[in-house]
Amino acid sequence: MRTKWWVPYAFLALPLLAYSVWVIKPIVETFIISFTNWDGISKTFEFTGWENFKFLFQDHAFHIALLNNVKWLLGFTAVAVPIGLALAMLFNRQGVLANVCKSLIYLPMTLAFVVRAQMWSWILEPRHGVLNTFLSAIGLGALARPWLADPTLVTYALIAVALWGQIAYAMVLFLAGMKHVPLELVEAASVDGATAWQRFWYVILPMLRPAMVIAITISIIDSLRAFDIVYVMTRGGPFGSSNVLANYMYIQAFHNYRMGRGAAIAVIQFVITFSMISFYLRWVMREERGRGS
Amino acid sequence: MFRKGMLVIGAILFLGLLGAAKEQIVVNSYMSDPAPREAFAQLVTMFEEQFPNYDVVVNTFPHEDFKTLLRTWLPAPEGPDVLTWFAGERMQYFAAQGLLEPLDDVFADGGFSALFPEAFRTVCTYGDHFYFVPQSWYWWGVWYRKSIFEELGLTPPITWAQFLDTCERLKDAGYAPITIGTKYLWTAAGWFDYLDLRVNGLDFHMDLMAGKVPYTDPRVRKVFEYWRQLVDKGYFLDNHSAYSWQEGASFLFNKEAAMYLMGQFIMDVAPAEVKDDIGFFRFPIIDGTVGVYEETPLDGFMMPANAKNKEGAKVFLRFIAGQESQQFFAEYLGRLAANRHVPPPDPMAREGLDMILASDGVAQFYDRDTNPEMATEGMERFVEFMMFPDRLDSILEELEATRARIFGQ
Repeated sequence: MRTKWWVPYAFLALPLLAYSVWVIKPIVETFIISFTNWDGISKTFEFTGWENFKFLFQDHAFHIALLNNVKWLLGFTAVAVPIGLALAMLFNRQGVLANVCKSLIYLPMTLAFVVRAQMWSWILEPRHGVLNTFLSAIGLGALARPWLADPTLVTYALIAVALWGQIAYAMVLFLAGMKHVPLELVEAASVDGATAWQRFWYVILPMLRPAMVIAITISIIDSLRAFDIVYVMTRGGPFGSSNVLANYMYIQAFHNYRMGRGAAIAVIQFVITFSMISFYLRWVMREERGRGS
Repeated sequence: MFRKGMLVIGAILFLGLLGAAKEQIVVNSYMSDPAPREAFAQLVTMFEEQFPNYDVVVNTFPHEDFKTLLRTWLPAPEGPDVLTWFAGERMQYFAAQGLLEPLDDVFADGGFSALFPEAFRTVCTYGDHFYFVPQSWYWWGVWYRKSIFEELGLTPPITWAQFLDTCERLKDAGYAPITIGTKYLWTAAGWFDYLDLRVNGLDFHMDLMAGKVPYTDPRVRKVFEYWRQLVDKGYFLDNHSAYSWQEGASFLFNKEAAMYLMGQFIMDVAPAEVKDDIGFFRFPIIDGTVGVYEETPLDGFMMPANAKNKEGAKVFLRFIAGQESQQFFAEYLGRLAANRHVPPPDPMAREGLDMILASDGVAQFYDRDTNPEMATEGMERFVEFMMFPDRLDSILEELEATRARIFGQ
């Protein structure tokens, strides 16, 4: 029985409507607000053109936030994805031990971001926190640092906390992807004399391409929108050293009563994320076409 | 079966009518620390007993988050009936936008002067109208562990030189002389405010808050130079930017630190066994020719312009302003009631009140006296100074750049 042409659209209509109202419209409104000086409270505001963007361009705090986001981006894509992949390769087998390890690694993902952040705040506490007391106990007291109070260390400490969950996320993505790697191909390769590394690099990895694309895309998005961990653990402190775009936007919009500026930061965040994702996906699709698949 | 069904429906209708007979008053409160929260809950029960036709719903929010949530309630079409808040610029900012309901009815017939000291009038009004009902206020001081002082033969210092000497002796004995938790920034502003009040006086301080004085003024720099004396000698707790103020206070409570510049509400979180060992003294005098000024933040309630039950809110606010409720709240927490007929609840409050009465004037607090955006920038720079005092020049320039931008030139 042939479906009528309007059937798909009929199914799409309701979700599309909800999407337009609750996602598209606020995005458009944010774009509009970014060109105003609205403080988020008054009933009136003025259009100020590119003022907000000009301010951000020369704002020291904004530069720090941007730089920190780059660090987050590198952390998520260059660290979380490879380690997640390695763990997936390691635990892609049957057995009680493998299952136990997988569950333990995955455990952080079951905790809300805020809970993770609060827990790690206590662990990283300078004087009585678990990490520093543990380091002293095993004789590595010299390595103990004020993790969240030192402006040069704080962003890395926050990224490490975020990676704790993000690595597990990447691992799960790759484990799922590996289910689609045909075992016969791998066996055929080993019969042909390929080493373990060659099997991984030339057979498994290319077959994991879809999972890889998702993992990297999600990592880019998650790193650029990181907020919970930063806001709960340091509020972007000390004095703005661990600021990221999302946190800075929140403080500008809701603490400083500068909604227009907050919206401008959101717009910039959107543009960055959108460009990165488009470039990446376009590159991937070109690769796909190149391979004729 | 039919009769039973009718009985049930009748009961439900009756209960529903009973519930509907009560008017609701919605109060959003930031009193998330256990002691004030409990005090307020009991106050609400007292109110409901006296006014049984009202049902008061109290929504309590974490103190820091309340400050940001507030701005979502005020411009909404309909909001809560009563809000806890702070007097001064923080309240006047909203009044200026027409987001608050004038409370002149609550203070009809010279009610305000009858209930509250004149000194509170300016911070509860905007233009010609009242917008704020003060409930309690507290003094700021340097809180210290009496046992540590006794152990080292110290007495509370009065002058700056004596204070430095006290810090040095404490440091030699292995204590952190001054504890502080600057994670949420405002505790550093306490130090700035007091040093500015001691070095430059109240008029200069209020001009600075109002954006009339540049931050690069030599008088402002002088404030930082006194501050630097404490920072350079390492008198402040290590890594204070990792701690909230309560976590900073825990070092005072477990005797790792000896002093804390803080508001009286530190006693809200002090463990029972430690309370008797904590006293306070006035922030040391730096310049004998400058008047003695203190910070006395005033807390209370206001009504948003979008409140649903304005008449009910006014009844509640009149109750709050009255002597009975003010006395109850003050006694429960050891604070000072705004109502001038309420005596100080305990000897410590008496001490605090006497200290304030002997002062030449009061300010509210940095983030209650100045523009919110300036406050955030200011407090961040203060914490940066405490961690990197060598950056003073760039810090002052950044502060000045922000001030010029916000207050116009």
